[in-house]
Amino acid sequence: MKNDYPIARTKHGKFRIDLHDDHREVLLELIEQFRESLTSANHEANLRRLFPTAYHNDAKADAEYQRLMRDELLASRLASAEVASNVIANKNEISAEEMDAFTRSVNSLRLVLGTSLDIAESDYGAKADDTGDSRDDDDAGDTDETEIQRELYEYLGWLLEWCVMAQSEPT
Amino acid sequence: MIILLRHNGVMDQATIASVQPAQVQEPDLADDTAVDRPWIVIVWNDPINLMSYVTFVFQKLFGYSLEKATELMLDVHNKGRAVVSNGTRERAEFDVYRLHEHGLWATMEHESL
Repeated sequence: MKNDYPIARTKHGKFRIDLHDDHREVLLELIEQFRESLTSANHEANLRRLFPTAYHNDAKADAEYQRLMRDELLASRLASAEVASNVIANKNEISAEEMDAFTRSVNSLRLVLGTSLDIAESDYGAKADDTGDSRDDDDAGDTDETEIQRELYEYLGWLLEWCVMAQSEPT
Repeated sequence: MIILLRHNGVMDQATIASVQPAQVQEPDLADDTAVDRPWIVIVWNDPINLMSYVTFVFQKLFGYSLEKATELMLDVHNKGRAVVSNGTRERAEFDVYRLHEHGLWATMEHESL
């Protein structure tokens, strides 16, 4: 049955990815949007967690760090997103390097969505209430878009847990 | 050692005039101490990153055991921050970059005296 083990380690250090076609479609769309956001002239505020400060008490040192490293970090994120996109579109068995890029991209998407949703520590207690049948309880002010973002955020969390579990399995 | 400045092999008058005993500048001991102090890399709490993912990243990047990585992750979660590595400035910047690459909020600073 699909999705019992959506990601698992296989022999020879590889990983098997077994996702529903509609999940692959959604992930591809998300990654495409993510790449567009990264390459747009004006970075969205939702990307701020992807480019954090390095010297939190030294603005001058941080400016220098960002000048030297930001483009490299951006290139790394774009490269990972490209690998992840290829994995999702075309592959069922992937290398450890592809698994690494896929995992980092899933986490990046989750960071962007979580920032957009303004996720806070206190949200974890309420997480269970946001799933399952409680979807019928429309929170006042929650737009459809927010609802979709929440579902995607939960899905990416689930997927990321599988990524971590698969890579934590003994070789 | 005295180093004489020469222009085209001939010491000019301006240079000779400038070669005068100068007031010795006392070294700034505070700065020297800061240079010698190692740098520490701190990971800060973030409500979005999964605890399992943070633990996994600590193991992957620093080779920590599951127990050590979990302990650090719990420090991040419960105390708001944890020191995950230390060393030279170059080493700390490298670690910060790798942590950023994995989506964790890491900063670096001099270790406290």
